[in-house]
Amino acid sequence: MSFSEEIYRHHDSIVSRRIEDEVILVPIRQNVADLESIYTLSEVGARIWEQIDGRRTNAEILPLIVGEFEVSEEEAQKDLKGFLQQLSAIGAITEV
Amino acid sequence: MDCPHIPKIGYGEFGKRLREKIADKRLPLAGSFELTFRCNLRCVHCYLGDARHGSPEKEELSYPEICDLLDQIVEEGCLWFLLTGGEPLLRPDFLDVYTYAKRKGLLITLFTNGTLITREIADYLQEWRPFKVEISLYGGTKETYEKVTGVPGSYERCLRGIELLLERDLPLRLKTMALTSNKHEILAMKEYAKGLGVSFRFDPMVNAGLDGAGEPANFRLTPEEVLELDRADHERAGGIRDFCQRALRPASKLDYAYVCGAGVRHFHIDPYGMLSVCIISRSRSYDLRRGSFHEGWQEFLPEVRYQRASDDYRCNQCELISLCGQCPGWAQLEHGDQETRVEFLCRVAHLRAEAFGSDSLGA
Repeated sequence: MSFSEEIYRHHDSIVSRRIEDEVILVPIRQNVADLESIYTLSEVGARIWEQIDGRRTNAEILPLIVGEFEVSEEEAQKDLKGFLQQLSAIGAITEV
Repeated sequence: MDCPHIPKIGYGEFGKRLREKIADKRLPLAGSFELTFRCNLRCVHCYLGDARHGSPEKEELSYPEICDLLDQIVEEGCLWFLLTGGEPLLRPDFLDVYTYAKRKGLLITLFTNGTLITREIADYLQEWRPFKVEISLYGGTKETYEKVTGVPGSYERCLRGIELLLERDLPLRLKTMALTSNKHEILAMKEYAKGLGVSFRFDPMVNAGLDGAGEPANFRLTPEEVLELDRADHERAGGIRDFCQRALRPASKLDYAYVCGAGVRHFHIDPYGMLSVCIISRSRSYDLRRGSFHEGWQEFLPEVRYQRASDDYRCNQCELISLCGQCPGWAQLEHGDQETRVEFLCRVAHLRAEAFGSDSLGA
């Protein structure tokens, strides 16, 4: 499957919270990431996180990033790829 | 791993950043919730008094009611959440409540006496790791511990609970109330904790009962004994010295009766759904069964928190007020009046200021 067709969903062992404009990922269960810390998301990261819903493909998420943050498609794809890899690495998402 | 897009941050550092960001704004970042007043121990100094036996007239919040409340609390911005009691593990649905709170992304601290921790509960906590667990240790020996708790066999059960948590590398801290009955074993308890590799703290500030009962105060140390304990422990003395020097302020009248973070960053909920500014100060509370947490936090608690002190209230003109435990909550419990001075607190504050705060007093 190509990167564009991939679909991800949030892992149920990590929870996102928005508190006063801070978006954080809180690990809640063993074997996920590092339970002694939380992860903070940038504005772009938080927007992508909201789009990861187990239904949208990466190809569907991409235009939102290009449109909202005024970056080139190439740049957006690079960012999205890097971000998804990192979310996978900390156990925050899984591929559907 | 630490990712450039997803910076990892420690909880303490994040909390500091958040508090700086919100500055003076009221936000219910931290809450405490007594799941039940009931307890399997009968500690001599307990502020709950007869409430520990449960109440025939009042019904504790049900699991669905608690879930609904947790939804509202999270919506309002709470992150740090304390589950306490009574003994919270006495509730048969404790793990359900705990899991629901975890799934909402709350950072859970659990206060327990440790005696009801089973292998199954410890395994569950290992899987759904809490932010922190604090166990109260009432003595350094079986004899003293059970003299305080009133329940034979409770000492061994507590130690077993501690062992079960430590075997699973859970984030445990030990603590005690320093009482007339256990003051001679404070050092032994500290050494025990040190041997286990966990932190230990003690608190000598025993407040009166919630029903106004004076019995808990019978187990208070004298202010001089409190100071003696402060001085006996080098680490503690250093901490109190820093605190005193930060807390001393030039004498001037403060507008409000409360000087702490109660009702500004913190809130408390009792087993029956009554919301108050803190665990001590409950004479004015809001019934969450009749209204929403949003209304309670936004409309009711500010009235309590920002009540003006009367003109003749002396304590909030005192330069020691910020290092003294005097507050409307303590005074209400001790004297049935929010502004009457609590002599015990006043004397401890003065002794500590004399012993530890002289650098700042002269500045």
